[in-house]
Order: sequence, then C-alpha cells, then structure tokens
Amino acid sequence: MANIITWARVKSPWVLHFNSGACNGCDIEIVALLTPKYDVERFGVKLEPSPRHADVLLVTGGVTQQCAERLKRIYDQMPQPKFVVAIGACACSGGVFAGCYNVVGGVDKVIPVTAYIPGCPPRPEAILDGVVKLLNALSPPKPKKQPKQEKPPGLPKEEAKPEVAKQEAVAPQEVKPTVEEAKPDAKQ
Amino acid sequence: MPNNNIDIINVIETQLKDKVQIQLGQLGKAAIVTNNGLHRDTLKAMVEADEKTAISAITGLDLGANIGVYYHIRTSNAFLTIKAEVPKDNPKIQTITDIIPGSAFHEMEVADLLGVVFEGNPSPGRLVLPENWPEGVYPLRKDFKANEVKLSPPKEEAKLPDEVKLVKIIIGPQHPALLEPEKFAVTVDGETVTKVEPRIGYVHRGIEKASESRTYLQDVYLVERICGICNSIHACSFVETVEKILKTEVPPRAKYLRVVTLELNRLHSHLLTLGHAGLEIGYETLFQYFWRDREPIMDLIELTSGNRVYSSLMTVGGVRRDLKDSDIPKIKSTLSELRKKLPFYRQIYEDEPSIKARMKNVGVLKREDALKLCVVGPVARGSGVDIDVRKDEPYEAYGEIPFKEIVYTQGDTWARMNVRMDEVEESINIIEYAIDHLPTGPFRVKAPRVVPAGEAVNRVEAPRGELFYYVKSNGTAFPDRVKVRTPTFSNIPAFLKTAIGENIADIPPNFVSLDPCFSCTDR
Repeated sequence: MANIITWARVKSPWVLHFNSGACNGCDIEIVALLTPKYDVERFGVKLEPSPRHADVLLVTGGVTQQCAERLKRIYDQMPQPKFVVAIGACACSGGVFAGCYNVVGGVDKVIPVTAYIPGCPPRPEAILDGVVKLLNALSPPKPKKQPKQEKPPGLPKEEAKPEVAKQEAVAPQEVKPTVEEAKPDAKQ
Repeated sequence: MPNNNIDIINVIETQLKDKVQIQLGQLGKAAIVTNNGLHRDTLKAMVEADEKTAISAITGLDLGANIGVYYHIRTSNAFLTIKAEVPKDNPKIQTITDIIPGSAFHEMEVADLLGVVFEGNPSPGRLVLPENWPEGVYPLRKDFKANEVKLSPPKEEAKLPDEVKLVKIIIGPQHPALLEPEKFAVTVDGETVTKVEPRIGYVHRGIEKASESRTYLQDVYLVERICGICNSIHACSFVETVEKILKTEVPPRAKYLRVVTLELNRLHSHLLTLGHAGLEIGYETLFQYFWRDREPIMDLIELTSGNRVYSSLMTVGGVRRDLKDSDIPKIKSTLSELRKKLPFYRQIYEDEPSIKARMKNVGVLKREDALKLCVVGPVARGSGVDIDVRKDEPYEAYGEIPFKEIVYTQGDTWARMNVRMDEVEESINIIEYAIDHLPTGPFRVKAPRVVPAGEAVNRVEAPRGELFYYVKSNGTAFPDRVKVRTPTFSNIPAFLKTAIGENIADIPPNFVSLDPCFSCTDR
C-alpha cells in the first residue's frame, strides 16, 4: 500500500506556486514550464491553485515581512507529507535583496526547505531538473527510468541538492481533503 | 482638438509672477520652487491651461532639516517639477488629490516612507509597509536603521461586520489568478462589485533604500531586479539618469543597441500579457499559443545578451556587449516568423465569440477618467489618450526611428489588449529598422568614475507605460536618493474605478488588461 502511494505521488506531484516577494523573473520561468516548449505536464506535474491539494510548494522570492506569515500559513495548510522547493537566488538566501529592511532573507528562515534551485532566475530546465531530482529522491530505491530531458549545451551549472527530509520514511498518512474550512482565497 | 502648443512656463509666469521661482532646465523642462501652499496654485493653473496635465510621481527626500516633496508633472508637451519643502519636525503639506485625483497613491507612498502628512488625503494609511510596522519609523529618512526595526506581532484580521446583502470577498495574497501576492477586498452586492479595496506592498523589499548603500554600478544590477519582466528598461532608465548627471553622451551604436534590447523586452512582455489574458478568460489554448511564440523571443534575448531573462546589457556609457553580425540573420528570421503569426491572433481577437463576450465593453475607462487618474501606457492609449514617451520625449534612438503610436478609443479591455497586439508589430518594425540602420563605431564610452553632485529626472516608455526615475547624487560613491515610479503604480486607480458596477467575473480580464506588475509597484 505504501508503495502504491509513493508511486502515485512520484508520478503525479501537484505543485503550488507561491511568490513571497520575488521580482517575477522566477515566476514567469515557472509558468514557462507549463507551456509547450517545456511542458512539465508530461511528467505528471500539475500546477495546483489550492494549498490543500498540493504536494510540493514552489517558493520564489526573498520572503518579505508581509509574506512571511502568509507563507507559513500556506505551508501549514498543505497535507502531509509536503515538500518545499526554494527557486532562485532570493528564495535560497535572500539574493540581491539580502539585508533590505523589509526582507526576511531566504525561505528556510520561515519554513523547512527540501530542495534549493539557485539561479537568477534559474532556467526552466534547471527548475525541471530540480523537481525531477526531488522526485527521484522520494521514489523507492529500485532503479527508476530517468525521464528524458533535452539539455541545451548552454545549460548553467545546476546544483539542486535535494537533501530530502526524512518525511518519506514516515508511514504515509491519510491525505484527507479538508473541506470544513472555507478557503480564504476562494473567489467565486 | 486639444491644443498641443501650450507654453506652460509662460502660463505659470503670468499667473504666479514673483511668487514662485522658476529654474529653467532643471529636473525636466523646469523646476518651480514654491513656498508652502503655492504648489496647489501652480498646479491649478497648469491643470486649467492644459487638460493633459498629470502627475508622474511625487518624490519625497530627506534634505536634513527639511523634507523635500517634489511633484513631477507631465503636460501635453513638457515635463516639470514643482518643489516644496516641509520642516521635519512638523511635516505637513496640503494634499493635491482634489486637483489631480490620480495623485492619491503617490501621496500615500511618501507618507508611508517619509512620514509627510498630506492634509486632506481621503485615504491615509499604510500603502507599501506592513500593517504591523512601528509608528514613527520612516525607512527613507537618513536616520533610519534597518536593524533597529521591531515589528509588532501580526494583527488578527478584523472580523467583517455582518452586512445583510453585501459580501466581502478577499482575493489574495495567494490566489490562482494572481501570479504575485497582493490582496484585494472586493465587496459585492449579488454579482455586482460595489467596492474594491487594494492592499499592495506584499512585494515591498525596500529597493529605493537599498540603492543608497550600493555604488552606481551595483545599482544597475539592483534596479534591474525590480522587475523580472521589464528588467532592461529599468536598467536603461537608471543609467540614462546617471548619464544626465555625468553629462555623458552615449555613442550612436549603443543607442541603437539599447533600442533593440528594449524592444525585445517589450515584445516578450506584450506576448506574455496577451497570453495571460487568454488564461484569465478560460481560453487556455490562446495562452499556450502566445507563450509558445514567446519562447523564440526569449531565445533572441539569450542570443544577444547571454541570459534568458536578465539581459544585463545596460551600463553607464553604453552597452556591455556588441551585437555580432553573425546573429543578425537569426534575429531577422525569428522576427519575420512572429510577424507571420500575427494576423492569426488578430483574427482571434476580432472574431472569436468568447474573446468578444469577455473583453468588449468590460472595464470601460473613459478618456476624461483616464486623464483625471493619470494612467499611462497601453491603458491610456486604449482610452484615446495619446501619450507615449518614445514619441513625446524621444530618448535613445527613438527620435530617428519611424514608428506608429497606437491609440484606440473604446477604452475597454479589448482595446487595451489590441493596443498591445499592434505594438508587437511596431516593435518588430523598430527592431528591424534599428538592425538595418545600425551605426558603426564604439558601443561604449568610458564614463567618469566619480558622479558629481547633482540631480536628474528621466522617463522612458516601459511595456506597461511611462517609467520615471529620479536620482540625486551627493558626490560620493553612493547615490543620495533613487526614486522609481513604475507604470502599474499609476494604473491601479484605473482598475479600482472600472471594476465598480461590473460583474465580479469580469474582474480577472479587466485586471489583466492593465498588465499589472506588483514587483514593480511595490519595489
């Protein structure tokens, strides 16, 4: 049973994107991932609008004071097990905005981070590679088929280090869709 | 027809003789130094003489004992600055929102960051700083110390009062329709929107303050990161402002290369928005199509600059890289491919029933409202206001390149998107012309290392509209003040106005038609 859940999770990770004070550079690159040239949906990755259904939280930006509290709330709303990927130099360490009066400086100051993808902004291929590395780390140790990726020659050095927390070792909890609370961000 | 030949300086001279001091050639066409209270009279005289008088920005700056409040005003044919000063221990000045309604946000920002009290401003309160920011601490004052700020614990959001019919819907900060964290509290009566209260500032990082502690060359890197979409234009505007203080003349080849970079930036930004609008009305195929065609432009940016998003080409004195002759055929073929696809998209916007149903007559902004709210860029041009800095005050090589200024008069979402559609074609024309007429010679001159004391203003046409920069130098290695007023900051009032009375489902297309960029707005 645990294997089935892991298999389902690895094959169709639902990601939630949250901009915690980024400049739009990384965010547009994440959206570009969905579009025909990169098309992450072929790996089963789906951008999910609600934190309650998401497995992976993609955070961009150096976390401003206003966003810190929101980021924590979104993280708390996600069902277990959950993974956080910090995308871009600002999300990793504060980047060029480190030391600004309204910037906390890095996602890991607020919530635990599973993987870091540096770059300003990282190329879509780098983000893709980081997510895939994260998924590989989650999957059971049996040899897995590596998803095919085209890497153009000019690909910057990619250093995603999925230091995966021990969450996958925990017995999989029931992922229950929470419905009792009205979503604060529901629009219609 | 509006008269475009008003001599605004003459108007001020005749009406306010001897009361104000006019310094020609400073901070735009002229700087008008007013004593307290007279900034209102000066503005009134300008508004009466010229209907296109609009506020571009209000710069607040710490002058030691006083706080300077500079009103940067654009008219139909000139750009002026009205200078006023208030004492720091009693920083009170009368509002101008009754003369120019579009100035409300500008005043709120100066109040937030410098603590100037604008007497009579209808909506005092926090704009960009957090709600729990301590009272009496103003980040842009010189005595501000970032490490001494103690934020109080976040306040619980106030419970909404039980109103019988009205429902308050909170959109954001995390919302599927928003790529960026911003909050809008929309009050609806049934399906009809009755009130929109924005809460911006979620992306406020404090770049204006940060730029005061970095050197000019480091600032080019920093201001480029105000926005990941229109990044080159920020860098370009900053270096132009510094060049004005330095009195450095950029070589002609650099001017053309800058135009190529800026127009590539505009192309990818417009394609992004045109696609995003498709996403917001549930027309996802259109979104995918536009973004598919945007990728070759990203490749061109990479080809010319070495980076997909941040081109980092601008530097004081020119550009950092030359364009290789061997790259020109690739640029031309990519652009002609894109040009071939445009009639297809035009036809979709003309004929497609879902586009017509969701965009025509949605979010109508009338011309007089557009003038009153001081909107800029495609939002103004979609409402029949012909302002385009590239035409009005040509910078770089725009004065030498022929291109059309696109103006639509309907003022609805459809018109605003069509302005962008036509500008895509104009941008292709501009790039092709610039590449064909690329002058030979150096692409960079050596600029002086030390920036002398002085101040300058500059405005350029970003993809979203007029972008304003003010830089003050005090002769040291670091700028004394950098003020950035981004186009979306001026365009938000238009959304607040047009959303009221419309269906709540029309908010997303209306909102996206402004091409909002909050990382710009908040800085």
